[in-house]
Amino acid sequence: MSETYDFLFKFLVIGSAGTGKSCLLHQFIENKFKQDSNHTIGVEFGSRVVNVGGKTVKLQIWDTAGQERFRSVTRSYYRGAAGALLVYDITSRETYNALTNWLTDARTLASPNIVIILCGNKKDLDADREVTFLEASRFAQENELMFLETSALTGENVEEGFLKCARTILNKIDSGELDPERMGSGIQYGDASLRQLRQPRGTTTQNKQQCNC
Amino acid sequence: MMERAMEQLNVQLNRLTRSLRRARTVELPEDNETAVYTLMPMVMADQHRSVSELLLNSKFDVNYAFGRVKRSLLHIAANCGSVECLVLLLKRGANPNYQDISGCTPLHLAARNGQKKCMGKLLEYNADVNICNNEGLTAIHWLAVNGRTELLHDLVQHVSNVDVEDAMGQTALHVACQNGHKTTVLCLLDSGADINRPNVSGATPLYFACSHGQRDTAQILLSRGAKYLPDKNGITPLDLCVQGGYGETCEILIQHHSRLFQTLIQMTQNDGIKENMLRQVLEHVSQQSDSHYQKILTSLAEVATTNGHKLLSLSSSYEAQMKSLLRIVRIFCHVFRLGPSSPNNGNDMGYNGNKTPRNQVFKPLELLWHSLDEWLVLISTELERSRKNPSSFSSSSEIASLLLKQREGDNAMTELPSLLEADGEDVISMTANRLSAVIQAFYMCCSCQMPQGMTSPRFIEFVCKHDEVLKCFVTRNPKIIFNHFHFLLECPELMSRFMHIIKGQPFKDRSEWFYEHLLSGQPDSDMVHRPVNENDILLIHRDSIFRSSCEMVSKSTNEKLKQGIAVRFHGEEGMGQGVVREWFDILSGEIINPDYALFTQSADGTTFQPNSNSSVNPDHLNYFRFAGQILGLALYHRQLVNIYFTRSFYKHILGIPVNYQDVSSIDPEYAKNLQWILDNDISDLGLELTFSVETDVFGAMEEVPLKPGGTSILVTQDNKAEYVQLVTELRMTRAIQPQINAFLQGFHTFIPPSLIQLFDEYELELLLSGMPEIDVQDWCRNTEYTSGYDPQEPVIQWFWEVVKSLTQEERVLLLQFVTGSSRVPHGGFAYLMGGSGLQKFTIAAVPYTSNLLPTSSTCINMLKLPEYPSKEVLKDRLLVALHCGSYGYAMA
Repeated sequence: MSETYDFLFKFLVIGSAGTGKSCLLHQFIENKFKQDSNHTIGVEFGSRVVNVGGKTVKLQIWDTAGQERFRSVTRSYYRGAAGALLVYDITSRETYNALTNWLTDARTLASPNIVIILCGNKKDLDADREVTFLEASRFAQENELMFLETSALTGENVEEGFLKCARTILNKIDSGELDPERMGSGIQYGDASLRQLRQPRGTTTQNKQQCNC
Repeated sequence: MMERAMEQLNVQLNRLTRSLRRARTVELPEDNETAVYTLMPMVMADQHRSVSELLLNSKFDVNYAFGRVKRSLLHIAANCGSVECLVLLLKRGANPNYQDISGCTPLHLAARNGQKKCMGKLLEYNADVNICNNEGLTAIHWLAVNGRTELLHDLVQHVSNVDVEDAMGQTALHVACQNGHKTTVLCLLDSGADINRPNVSGATPLYFACSHGQRDTAQILLSRGAKYLPDKNGITPLDLCVQGGYGETCEILIQHHSRLFQTLIQMTQNDGIKENMLRQVLEHVSQQSDSHYQKILTSLAEVATTNGHKLLSLSSSYEAQMKSLLRIVRIFCHVFRLGPSSPNNGNDMGYNGNKTPRNQVFKPLELLWHSLDEWLVLISTELERSRKNPSSFSSSSEIASLLLKQREGDNAMTELPSLLEADGEDVISMTANRLSAVIQAFYMCCSCQMPQGMTSPRFIEFVCKHDEVLKCFVTRNPKIIFNHFHFLLECPELMSRFMHIIKGQPFKDRSEWFYEHLLSGQPDSDMVHRPVNENDILLIHRDSIFRSSCEMVSKSTNEKLKQGIAVRFHGEEGMGQGVVREWFDILSGEIINPDYALFTQSADGTTFQPNSNSSVNPDHLNYFRFAGQILGLALYHRQLVNIYFTRSFYKHILGIPVNYQDVSSIDPEYAKNLQWILDNDISDLGLELTFSVETDVFGAMEEVPLKPGGTSILVTQDNKAEYVQLVTELRMTRAIQPQINAFLQGFHTFIPPSLIQLFDEYELELLLSGMPEIDVQDWCRNTEYTSGYDPQEPVIQWFWEVVKSLTQEERVLLLQFVTGSSRVPHGGFAYLMGGSGLQKFTIAAVPYTSNLLPTSSTCINMLKLPEYPSKEVLKDRLLVALHCGSYGYAMA
């Protein structure tokens, strides 16, 4: 009856207007490019269950509006996020320059422990590039971010971006760095961990489980 | 030869005497079928000597199967516990494993009926315990179903496979769990039964225990290491517990699998689960300990917050998310109000500084309220901007056009096909419903922390802060009021801000809202007319209906009367809704009985209002209170009363100020004079009126000032309107103020003033006295025409055609518009009364000017109908007048 998963992670997608945040989410969830994308009004929501390191994780993703006028509304969604995709547009220096502000917002409003992956989107528009890979990866290193260049149009690195972020959070849970039971951690247990542990041999779920290994 | 014959005779004689002495045959008939029916009753009664005697020397086949189900005598013996016969039959070679038509052996039957000795003997004779009947049931299944642990204990040693499955793949353990036989379950487990065995649909013993809420059994299984497994459809034991509302069993599951707690909380989002069952379960779990209470509420608050945020995400389904949010918040508030398990714990909380206070559980919701606030601020900013700069915004889509402008400046976005049409709807209309639902949730959470009947200051502050945006929401979509702004009905101070919008909504919507809210305080709205306890029946004497009703009602409590009314007339059998209806009908007629002097007839003879001289009856105020209670009670239970009040008295009930035209109901001539003063310039008439009137107080004329110092204030052209208003209030209100107050005191015990405000005086009449059936033909026959109209006039023809096409409700409005009452007199329109006797419905011609509306003079039942150029214009103007007319005379 209910969806089964081991963990639920709360994710944010943040960054300036027009960087393709909604398209990244759409590509990740629907596996296709969103042709008729408009500016997001307020905050949109999407979710997908993924398999990371043998665990099923439900990602609950809040896709925020990039426009300044929605800023106070979108900020109210930050609290308790476990991970974030910080998006800029490689063809727009302006969106790159704004990253520091977005980063400060995320770390102060969500949680200092939030796991953030920097996504340089619109990788397919290499000809119009205004931000180099090297420059951005240096910025990522300095700020302890993971980094990828993505394309919501072709789908390149989109899945990776979300999965990498989820994997890092899982590692932190395993190492004890993150405590899922803590309030506002942005992490919840599902009941699947329980089921899979105890699933009898020979049932279909067990077979599925083996395939995942 | 002779001897032989004698011998023969002796034998026969002997047989005869034996037979006679025993009152039965002593010899078994030769054919098995007859023989078996001779033996069967003896076997059933365990008359083993007789059976033994009969079987001796007979050729009867002890394995002979008979009857519809083809059982042997051994079956019968086992079934009835006839152990001696059973042994006898076995000794004579009866087959212990003989199966009847359904595959049952004697052992099955003995096990089913718990025939311990028979079972023992059958086993001694090598009965096979492993045989299955046609449904796959074995003896141990039968023992397990009925929880015969002792027998099972004996039998199970002989069983080769304790997990033998029936046709549904169910083992004895399954059926024992389903029926909650604890010792049986233990016995089976001790005998090696498979604790996790799934049946054909994948249901385990734990699943069975949970499906029937067998708490102790579930406890045994879990402590013995039962796994928590869903069936093949993915339905889990927890699902089953919640579906059945088995809180205790859920509690046990969570004790053993702590993560199920989250699953349970998540279920609040599942539309397919019955809310009351889930609530019952959460209530139970929350009462287990203080920490459970805190944990459940905190988790519910978190889930509610996530759902609220999803609702505010525009691509989610409004309908589904709204329902989900409100359901979670309802459950949350309900559990919160229950309080922690014991009051002692509450005290400890204060004492022990480590523990979090109760209100801490609301903390996660603050995120949602914060977002709500930010959203409303955003919209307010948008509204502000569009007002300052109206030219740059299209009327229907402020933000969309704003988006367009920004997009034009954004080069990156021009690459994408611009489909602005999708943005065509503006943000307010896209978010208003969603934000309003969150506001409703906010109100619920605020008020569940407040004592009953008090509005949270925080919420009032919230509404005041966002007043403008909220008004904008409901102006654009008034349905929001009925769907989400229930708080208005509980907070008169907030209601007044929205009243003008609410009053503009259809009567039907408002009365639905009224009843929905009126009954929402009841424990279960299905129970409104529940069968009443014998002591709660109102026993009424027909010959003194007024006094005995008054007595009975005052003896009962308001709460009981709200839950339901049952009436029985003294010396009569009848009960039920019909009698209740009759009681209200007769009693309401009795309230206006002139003998009690409580109410007086108005000038038109059909409507009533409190009698200013009612004090001739020393108890009058108590009776007014009683009358108010009866009217309130009738309205509460949707019963109609047989009274029509004057327009001014309806206004008094509603708390609406009266105006000079209301005077016509008690003194039509005086009303005309007031009208004259208003219509004419009085400056030069030398009336020398002051703000005072002379009244006759017990025979002495006395000067009564209309306002302080009124005797020395002259009435002038400038202040005449105030004079008319004050003199109206004196005649209509001040003269009967104590009576009105007492009546309202009674009325408000059942109908809160904030609720009745939803209606105007015309609608109140319809609510109290019902929508009359109007016979248009009769109406048309009894109508007179004046000022140039006659029945053949096209305008008149059109008028009646329009009336025929109106809805019943609109016809009533028309009748109210012209006669002031929705009442059709007994005998029909021929008996319509006016201010001075019979006064038929009259239509008078008025010269037509553009946009002129019809008007009326209620005291003479006259409709002043302009000479409209076409039927369409007539209908249009008439409907405008009817629908606006109910806002008061100011429009007319």
